[in-house]
Amino acid sequence: MSVREAAPVTVPAHAAPAPTGQLQRSRRSGQWWVPWLFLAPALVLFVYFKFIPMAQAIGMSVQEVRPYLGNTWVGGANYTEILSSEGFRSAAWNTVVLAVGQTFGSMVLGFCLALLVEGQTRKLTFIRSAAFLPVVVPLAVVAELWRIMYHPTGDGLINQLIGLVGLGPSGFINDPHTSLASIAVTGIWRGAPYDMMIFLAGLAGIDRGLYEAATVDGASTWKRILHVTLPGLRPVFAILFVLAAVRGFRTFTEVFLLTNGGPNGSTEVVMTLIYKLGLEQSRLGVGSAGAVLLFAATLVLTVCVQLLRRRRSA
Amino acid sequence: MTVSIIRSFKTVAAGVGIALTLAACGSGGAGAGKAEQDPSAPLELWARTTPGGDGEKGMKKLAAAFEAATGKKVEVTAIFDDFETKLSQRAAQKDLPDIVMNDSSQLGTMVSQGIVREVDLSAIKGSDQLLEPALAAARATDGKTYGVPYSAQASALLIRKDWLKKVNLTAPTNWDQMVALAKAFTTQDPDGNGKADTYGLAVPASTKRGYASWYFSNFLWAAGGDFIAKQADGKYKPAMSTAETVAATRWFRDLACTSKVIQPGAATMDTPPTNETFEAGKTGMYVVGPYLMPRFDSSLGKDKYDVVAMPKGPKDSTVLAEGGSVYLMAGSKNEAGQNAFAGYAISAEGQKIGMEGEKAFIVQLPVNKTVDIATVRPDPRWKLYADVYREHGRYAPSIPNWTPVRQSTADTVNALIADCGLDVDAELKKLDQKLTDTLSQQGISAS
Repeated sequence: MSVREAAPVTVPAHAAPAPTGQLQRSRRSGQWWVPWLFLAPALVLFVYFKFIPMAQAIGMSVQEVRPYLGNTWVGGANYTEILSSEGFRSAAWNTVVLAVGQTFGSMVLGFCLALLVEGQTRKLTFIRSAAFLPVVVPLAVVAELWRIMYHPTGDGLINQLIGLVGLGPSGFINDPHTSLASIAVTGIWRGAPYDMMIFLAGLAGIDRGLYEAATVDGASTWKRILHVTLPGLRPVFAILFVLAAVRGFRTFTEVFLLTNGGPNGSTEVVMTLIYKLGLEQSRLGVGSAGAVLLFAATLVLTVCVQLLRRRRSA
Repeated sequence: MTVSIIRSFKTVAAGVGIALTLAACGSGGAGAGKAEQDPSAPLELWARTTPGGDGEKGMKKLAAAFEAATGKKVEVTAIFDDFETKLSQRAAQKDLPDIVMNDSSQLGTMVSQGIVREVDLSAIKGSDQLLEPALAAARATDGKTYGVPYSAQASALLIRKDWLKKVNLTAPTNWDQMVALAKAFTTQDPDGNGKADTYGLAVPASTKRGYASWYFSNFLWAAGGDFIAKQADGKYKPAMSTAETVAATRWFRDLACTSKVIQPGAATMDTPPTNETFEAGKTGMYVVGPYLMPRFDSSLGKDKYDVVAMPKGPKDSTVLAEGGSVYLMAGSKNEAGQNAFAGYAISAEGQKIGMEGEKAFIVQLPVNKTVDIATVRPDPRWKLYADVYREHGRYAPSIPNWTPVRQSTADTVNALIADCGLDVDAELKKLDQKLTDTLSQQGISAS
């Protein structure tokens, strides 16, 4: 595995400092500004719609924002306020719990789904498309759907189901003890098919010969999954983990639509808190400070995962 | 390979550094002073209402009538989603619309952002005819007026008429009767479908936009309680743990936890799903403003429900009053035009035009003393709303930023309804502490 992954990276690194490299490179790549020219349309859009707003958010996070009167510099006051508020700390904790729950839930379910629907037959294509539906349905519709399913009385759809095995009725999103888990379930339902698709792509890349060899050696299905499939999917896991974790950190729509952070702050996540502070209470400075902290957390997480991955594959 | 990561970290750090430097240098710019005046400049008007909806039609009707009467031009723009954000963007460009028509409760926020100018009432024709409570809501904590109210509304109780007959009771006049009726609606199967699927009272108890607190204020104030209490020096103290407030909160919470007469799922419902429970015959009572009557008339039927004044609470029958104001924005090139428009909106003629129509009306209840609602809307239910407003209406106080107060009280009310195991006293004490912080952030906390 590691050989296959390391190969494309190491080859150009060695080729560059060759004695005749300078001449060859200039002939091969032409004027230095040509690649930049091709990149320019994307770069201009990125700078204007991404980097400048990001820089502004950082700027706003150290100011009291009053668009008409002019902003005033307050230094770290916004950060002190948000970090010392109990609301932010519990929102951060809820975000982490939700991100971890959704990430692992979606990955486990997505992996099982992928194993089930892997293959070439026609029927499977249909089933794969059907399983992928939750990802393409707009989140607003998903939230309404789940609100109906989570109806907190015995008549509710899910309450009827769990009633069959003698449980419930549960309050689901209306009960502070079950609300966060209920939102995680909605997130997993939506996220798992997406993970499934990436797993399917990963599964297609595993050498069939390895399975055959394992079967010949007398490995059971379970052992084949454990010793062939899972190691073969390692890079897929890494990329899914980063994607899902970033998605988990930025969870907003389902929480906003299902509970808006309630009941009793049990589902308040960083994004809904930032929305409330910045846009509902018009305190853009404090809201920006929260956004910058979220950005920093996401950045650190991504870098850590990259470092771990590289160390392992090096 | 770690080198590239370190390099990206350096890039990010450099970016952050530049952003912070710019923030430090660019701050402290003063707002624009008074702009050069041009009395013929067209007025740009922003209204917080759904584009293409009835509210926009009503606004355009009023603008057209104003143009016909004065010859001054008005361009109406309707914006609903993210109205405040879009206004902030215009503020950042130092190019605000001339007039904004928005909730009266936005006053404090707009004043603290410096985007509205002070209103000289002597320059607004007919401002002496305004109802005092509406005018008082347009005054900020500094005692100056920053808006001209053009519409008002209050809450009343909607009751299913056919259900009342079925359970053989009359409309409640006090809280005990209200609870009894709510219990009857919940337990006696008033819709006769043989299932226990009806509930006494519809409550939008979501934290979204502070709905739980907004709804609860009708009960809190009638019990003599309060969110924050004004002190002799004009500053405020939180009042969420006074005996009256605690009693009101307990009573309201018992509706959800003990007698269970509130619709299930209330804790995550804002107004749209709550309206549906009333329309679909799941709930029998609902405390709302007059603006929902046209909707319920067509969805439920006018003959299916009664509108009555709120039952008297332990103290009185105070209900939440709200309204819309004409805000005269800062930096306008046509202040005379702004004044003329505000004067027209509150004149007897303007108020009548605003009230006309089955749906496309923008004036709920008139704020002009000389206008009798019955002359425009003969429906006695409107008269009832107008009387409730004049006798029992109470506005939220005009503090610099009311939203965080409403938000945190909504959080607590929502929590108490959702989790019947919470200790009311402890939660309200915690809320008081939070409100103290909010008030001192706004510089209006009484020590």
